[in-house]
Amino acid sequence: MATDTSSSETKTSKLEQTNPDYNPNIVIEAQNLTKIYRDFWGRQKVRALNALDLEVKKGEIFGLLGPNGSGKSTTIKLLLGLLFPTSGRAVVFGENATEVTKNERIGYLPEESYLYKFLTAEETLDFYGRLFDMPSEVRKERVQKLIQQVGLGHAKRRQLREYSKGMTRRIGLAQALINDPDLVLLDEPTSGLDPLGTREMKDMILKLRDEGKTVVMCSHLLGDVQDVCDRIAILYQGDLKELGRVDSLLQVSDETSIRAKNLPAAAQEEIREVIKKHGGDVIGVENPKSTLEELFLQIVRESEQRPGQRVSGSDS
Amino acid sequence: MVLENFPTFSEWFLPGLVLFGGIVLAAILLGLFVGYVVASFRHGPFEAFYIVAQVVGESVPDFLGTSPRRVMAMARLAVKEALRRKVVIVAFVIFAILLLFGQWFMGGTENPEKRFMNTIMFGTQLLTLLTVMLISSFSLPEDIKNKTIYTIVTKPVRATEIILGRILGFGFLGTVLLALMGLISFFFVSRNLDHTHAVVGDTQTIASLTAIAPGTEISETTGKRVSPNAVMEGETNVELGHSHRLEVLEFTTDSDDDPNLKAPDIVSVEDVDGKKVFRRLVCLPVGGHTHQVTVSGTGNDAKISLGPAIGYFRARIPVYADSVTFLNRDGQQDEGTNVGKESSYRGFIDGGNARQRSSLARAIFSYSDFTPDRFQNADVIPLEMTLGVFRTYKGDMQKRVTGGLQFESVPDNPEVENRFVSEIVNFETNEYQLQIRPVSRKVIGKIVAPDGSFVAEGEYDLFDDFAANGKLNLSLSCRDVNQYLGVARADVYFRASDDVYWFNYLKGYVGIWCQMMIIIAMAVAFSTFLGTPIVMLGVLMMMVVGFFTPFIRGLTAADRDGGGPIESFIRIVTQKNMQVNLETGVATTLIKESDNFVSHRMGDLTYLAPNFKQLDFSSFLTYGYSIDNQRILVALAITLAFCIGLTLLGYFSLKTREIAK
Ligand SMILES: Nc1ncnc2c1ncn2[C@@H]1O[C@H](COP(=O)(O)OP(=O)(O)OP(=O)(O)O)[C@@H](O)[C@H]1O
Ligand SMILES: [Mg+2]
Repeated sequence: MATDTSSSETKTSKLEQTNPDYNPNIVIEAQNLTKIYRDFWGRQKVRALNALDLEVKKGEIFGLLGPNGSGKSTTIKLLLGLLFPTSGRAVVFGENATEVTKNERIGYLPEESYLYKFLTAEETLDFYGRLFDMPSEVRKERVQKLIQQVGLGHAKRRQLREYSKGMTRRIGLAQALINDPDLVLLDEPTSGLDPLGTREMKDMILKLRDEGKTVVMCSHLLGDVQDVCDRIAILYQGDLKELGRVDSLLQVSDETSIRAKNLPAAAQEEIREVIKKHGGDVIGVENPKSTLEELFLQIVRESEQRPGQRVSGSDS
Repeated sequence: MVLENFPTFSEWFLPGLVLFGGIVLAAILLGLFVGYVVASFRHGPFEAFYIVAQVVGESVPDFLGTSPRRVMAMARLAVKEALRRKVVIVAFVIFAILLLFGQWFMGGTENPEKRFMNTIMFGTQLLTLLTVMLISSFSLPEDIKNKTIYTIVTKPVRATEIILGRILGFGFLGTVLLALMGLISFFFVSRNLDHTHAVVGDTQTIASLTAIAPGTEISETTGKRVSPNAVMEGETNVELGHSHRLEVLEFTTDSDDDPNLKAPDIVSVEDVDGKKVFRRLVCLPVGGHTHQVTVSGTGNDAKISLGPAIGYFRARIPVYADSVTFLNRDGQQDEGTNVGKESSYRGFIDGGNARQRSSLARAIFSYSDFTPDRFQNADVIPLEMTLGVFRTYKGDMQKRVTGGLQFESVPDNPEVENRFVSEIVNFETNEYQLQIRPVSRKVIGKIVAPDGSFVAEGEYDLFDDFAANGKLNLSLSCRDVNQYLGVARADVYFRASDDVYWFNYLKGYVGIWCQMMIIIAMAVAFSTFLGTPIVMLGVLMMMVVGFFTPFIRGLTAADRDGGGPIESFIRIVTQKNMQVNLETGVATTLIKESDNFVSHRMGDLTYLAPNFKQLDFSSFLTYGYSIDNQRILVALAITLAFCIGLTLLGYFSLKTREIAK
């Protein structure tokens, strides 16, 4: 794994690449993306994101992981143009993140559902639908379909102020999908959902990928991430600590696991003999992979011991 | 009420447009500069240049990409939100209370309609403006605080749409509010002013009137002035704080089918020497309104009944002169005699003195489009005047001052064409008393050759002869020695037939509507970068500046007694009188110069705030004048300009703002 990406040459060469011939297979590109929060007087408060380089490819489910305050939401907000980068660039669909036209193809579920509490579920979806270029029949149809899809058919005429947290989350998701987006950014999609809702949410995310859409989600519920994500990035205090395919990241390279069916005890013994002959130690047949939780905790622990170690986003 | 000189829309538009363009350009440049400074503070000068260029570059596609559908969606949301806040309902309740209790204070005067109109227009204006200010300054800051704006700006919504949507949504709501208040007020006022009178006396018949001896000027029974042709008098009871004087007037006519003979108020008709002598019972107007009198039956038993009030709801259309020039005693052009401070508005006409009795001093009102169709081809055109009187000797203050009126034609080619000159008609006036003089189309006068020699005399037509080319001069002179008559262009006008009242009423509300739209735009634009309380404070300040623009401009004028802020402060500290000159020297020059500078900058600031007085037409309604369409056009143009400018301001400030900060 490469260590420090030093910035200047790579940055300029990438800048040139972006807009003129934009690669449709790369949906999101973060180049040296840095965000420093400042107070009113311009004094530095928090370095929330530090020189992040990242690419998200079309059709994948990308997970952003990290402990609280590590810069996940900040990254998503930078990608949406809700925040302006202190330096570096966020490029979405080949356009600058502050460009509004890209929003035609984006759906966003914020960390909490920021919706108008005086609207009913139907009115909410209708209102957001009107903000897109879609004929009114299509809009009406989509509204009803999404309400059914997120399981709010029974409450669609109630004002959102009466909704429970999970219900609000569901209508928030429906709102993010109203325009049938190509890219969906989900900030902690499963927070506040019951186990059934979590399951449904994960199924929905997988379904979105099957439809060819790109999903970026951030979460600290590692099980969820492990279940659905193709690739993940792990952030710690604004630094990118790990980036790669979930399966290869979790592959323990100095371990080999062998699975076989209907193997008699003698054969097992024989295999142990062979391993022993080659100087190996038999550990067991279970746990062919480590869990994401282990990886996560290990990275956090290492980062605490050796701050500053980073990975580059360009290699995977 | 003083109607000031007013430019027409086309006269106003081009300089106005240039001014507006200049202001917008200056505002954009200033905005870019401030943006650049802030950005270079954060990102260094080169990066900052790039950022500013990017914002400008992105703004054009944003303007082009603004979609009406999204604007409407945002507007609908704004309406729903504001209705939920219930401010509108509160405003209505206050309005109802105002009407209910206002009723107690509004009667009891000769001109109740003025007080009603005044109170109601003021109340409506105040309530509407405060309401829209409240709802529109809460909206955006609340959205930003609740972060609901995140879900908006991550949709393909342009900053223009967020701003325009709100302006339109709140504008719609305000319009509905205003329309309802206007309708309710209209019915309220007409219901409250509606009244009739009974005749004082035991019977409602001619018998309750008393005869007047011929030649009486002041009635002995009532102490009131008597009309020259009055033969009987009477009085009505008091209703709505006033009573009317009733007079039986005697007229003579040659023709048997004079329409006056069929009037409902005819008391008697007699044949005398082949002419008809008839008597009518008239109800003399009080404060502009009167009542239709109906007399049924004959002799002393004829029943008198008075109808409902007429004349409350007037929309007089004054036809002003295009210009007024003053001639002095010797017939030379000047500005009108200066009689002191007042003269900046009015010019004064010298009545001559003992040595030079025949003063040539006069004010000449020039009309360039004096055509009969402007007066519906009427035979008699009312000329209305409100003149100032300046007396060099007091004598009898109640004695009226005599003025003279004369018409003259203005030939296109004065070297060869003859001129028409009318007789001088005298009239009497007291200071600032509305004079209504019926001017007959048939004018006695003479024709004068270009060299001044007499050609002919006789009866000529005001339109066909005098103003055959549309041009007419009316000269006003003062006929009393040692007295002066003060007049401004707007003080003398012919009155064309009235405008339709409800239409004029609507125009009055258009003025409030314009103010309302500007306030909404202001609140929405400010709320893109300020929090609710500061927005409200800012808008209130703009309102105050806007309503008192002339006053503030006056304050900032440099040449006041006592000097500007620094000088006056020094005078207060050193206890110097306002008239005492400060010692000349470097210090004084410095003080005066810095005062000048401060005053001018303060004066400039008033141009940033809308001049709300220019959009306020309530006094037209109060005093019963028609509101010129030109004024409405100008008001609408001003409103549009402010809305565009403020939308731009809001756009750039929202665009450059980090929403999630
Ligand atoms: N508006 C802000 N002003 C100042 N600091 C901020 C602001 N928003 C976030 N931060 C800081 O930036 C850092 C990253 O925050 P961010 O919200 O991106 O974290 P996160 O990874 O999403 O955390 P969580 O898992 O709790 O949602 C934190 O230290 C946070 O305090
Ligand atoms: Mg977060």
